[in-house]
Amino acid sequence: MPEWYGPYGGSYVPETLIPALKELESAWKSARRDPEFRSRFQELARDWGGRPTPLYFAERLTRELGGAEIYLKREDLVHGGAHKLNNALGQGLLALRLGKRRLIAETGAGQHGVATAMIGAKLGLTTEVYMGAADMERQQPNVLRMRLLGATVRPVTQGQQTLKEAINEALRDWIANVQDTHYLLGSAVGPHPFPSLVADFQSVIGRELRRQSRARWGRDPDLVLACVGGGSNAIGTFHPLLRGPARLIGVEARGSGEGPGGGAASLVRGSVGVLHGMRTYLLQDEEGQILPTQSVSAGLDYAGVGPEHAWLKDSGRVEYTAATDRQALEAFHRLARTEGILPALEPSHALAVAIQRAPDLPRDQHLVVTLSGRGDKDLAEVQRLGPAR
Amino acid sequence: MGRLGEVLRQRRQRREGSLLTYLMAGSVPPETFLGCVRAFRAAGVTGMEVGFPFSDPMAEGPVIQRAASRSLARGTRWSDLLALLPQVSGELPVAVMTYLNVVLRHGGEKALTELREHGADAVILPDLPLEGLRDLGPHRRTDGLDIVLLASPATGEERLLRLARRTGGFLYLVSRYGTTGLGGGTTPSTRTHPLDLTEEIRQVHEERPRLPVLAGFGVRDAQDVRSFLDQGADGAIVGSLLQDRLNEGADPSELEATVRSLVEGLSSKRLGLDATRERGL
Repeated sequence: MPEWYGPYGGSYVPETLIPALKELESAWKSARRDPEFRSRFQELARDWGGRPTPLYFAERLTRELGGAEIYLKREDLVHGGAHKLNNALGQGLLALRLGKRRLIAETGAGQHGVATAMIGAKLGLTTEVYMGAADMERQQPNVLRMRLLGATVRPVTQGQQTLKEAINEALRDWIANVQDTHYLLGSAVGPHPFPSLVADFQSVIGRELRRQSRARWGRDPDLVLACVGGGSNAIGTFHPLLRGPARLIGVEARGSGEGPGGGAASLVRGSVGVLHGMRTYLLQDEEGQILPTQSVSAGLDYAGVGPEHAWLKDSGRVEYTAATDRQALEAFHRLARTEGILPALEPSHALAVAIQRAPDLPRDQHLVVTLSGRGDKDLAEVQRLGPAR
Repeated sequence: MGRLGEVLRQRRQRREGSLLTYLMAGSVPPETFLGCVRAFRAAGVTGMEVGFPFSDPMAEGPVIQRAASRSLARGTRWSDLLALLPQVSGELPVAVMTYLNVVLRHGGEKALTELREHGADAVILPDLPLEGLRDLGPHRRTDGLDIVLLASPATGEERLLRLARRTGGFLYLVSRYGTTGLGGGTTPSTRTHPLDLTEEIRQVHEERPRLPVLAGFGVRDAQDVRSFLDQGADGAIVGSLLQDRLNEGADPSELEATVRSLVEGLSSKRLGLDATRERGL
């Protein structure tokens, strides 16, 4: 498992966490070779999680745009409504293997919190989820779901009350309770081994996609897009395709396009620093203080990004761009009306860029967007923001 | 070695316990801050730990978090720290405590040089692991600025000895699982107790007999200070207890009284008997 992606990554955490991180890494190294662990994981991913997910041809949207064929990798159909379960399931089983009886997690949009609450219930583990109070307000359905699944939701009232602060509090809890608690980190961020662990569990997205596209049209897709907050669905999508010919685009959130951080686009707008245990691109001021972020989507509203994305940006293998709140909302409404699918606001950012680019691509090309989650959690927020132009 | 490390080492040789006091720069106006430093000196502390705020301080409990937010809200900048340091170091040896990103953003090695030139003897970065020392360039322990490493109750013996070999000035031994402060965290799950570290301290001293070991996190009173010394530590670091009172508007003379009572914990005659009293440790 790589700890470093070029100059990015590392484990910049208080000494108290170092042994737990090392223990987690060795547990995963042995579990991944353990046939029993693998078969249990695969069985649950299939029968409980709903994998594999379909690769769906968005026929009307393709026809409307008149360019490349548009396909959706339907992670919104995973149990719980987002790709987050892929990782929560794997780490939940690892926690059992480590003998940890308590799970903690951070959540932004609430999808990772729901996934953690689901696996916690399934495995009989105590589950506590840290969530920014502002995010609890805008993602209320997920707060209710977590509670119904038996998890305790702990509101975080520091700072901006969003994902970054939720991670801070989860890390502090872990420092205090590391002996009996597993921190089930939900994105491809944080100290080693989390970024590579999460990438491993999420790479099922890209592996299925590659198999499905080869079966369908005989080769890899030409263009693949995924949204990037911390970057877990994107890294899972891209990983198996990195050595192939596909063009890969990660889409961050530009927010309203104003504000000091310029939304939440740390790769597009940020600079290198250390936050949450990793060296990566951050939205920070010249004093090294982390800037406030802003995005319509709670899941992308984060000032950092996974260290592997930082390296993929520098190496040029992946193109990173950003979509605004308004563009994401328009994509949301467009998909709803053309394909009968309500996407989450997070992948709506990737859809927005797909909608921009598809018309310029030849009709024999294949474009894939990872639809990382469904939009039910966003209904109130979308209603509040009003109809598309 | 910096002056602070030197003083701590001499006191260890003389078997005198040491006390470091922490306050967050910019959480109060500079005059108040310096008033506290002078009061602490008068009360008999060994050195001053000056906190510099970071927006996301992952090792801090609520009290230091609040102080950091307040300091940032008051517009505290790196240049303010540099302006404050010479005045503090005129009173007491100084360690600066902040987070790695702040130091990296100000040039890493360049920032450390600036700290040294402005009178700091040591720097403490709770999110800098042993493996991250190379990020700060070849500077390290040279030229009078020590990079102090932290060890924790979770640290195994082999790693503890590596930390002891690589730390500069002294070893900062975290006394409990948890963040800084008195344990009244934002949630019940962040409340923890100090642990018996006698064995860890013995191992460090066996590896580096002259290295001072200072214990911290969650010090409440002279008895806690005494308890660390009884476990073999060379001193204690107290922060949240004082910062909490400062956050609540206490003035330097009120804090001086608190610090005086803590300094009493350094004197074995007075509190030797109390150390054995059951305190739920």
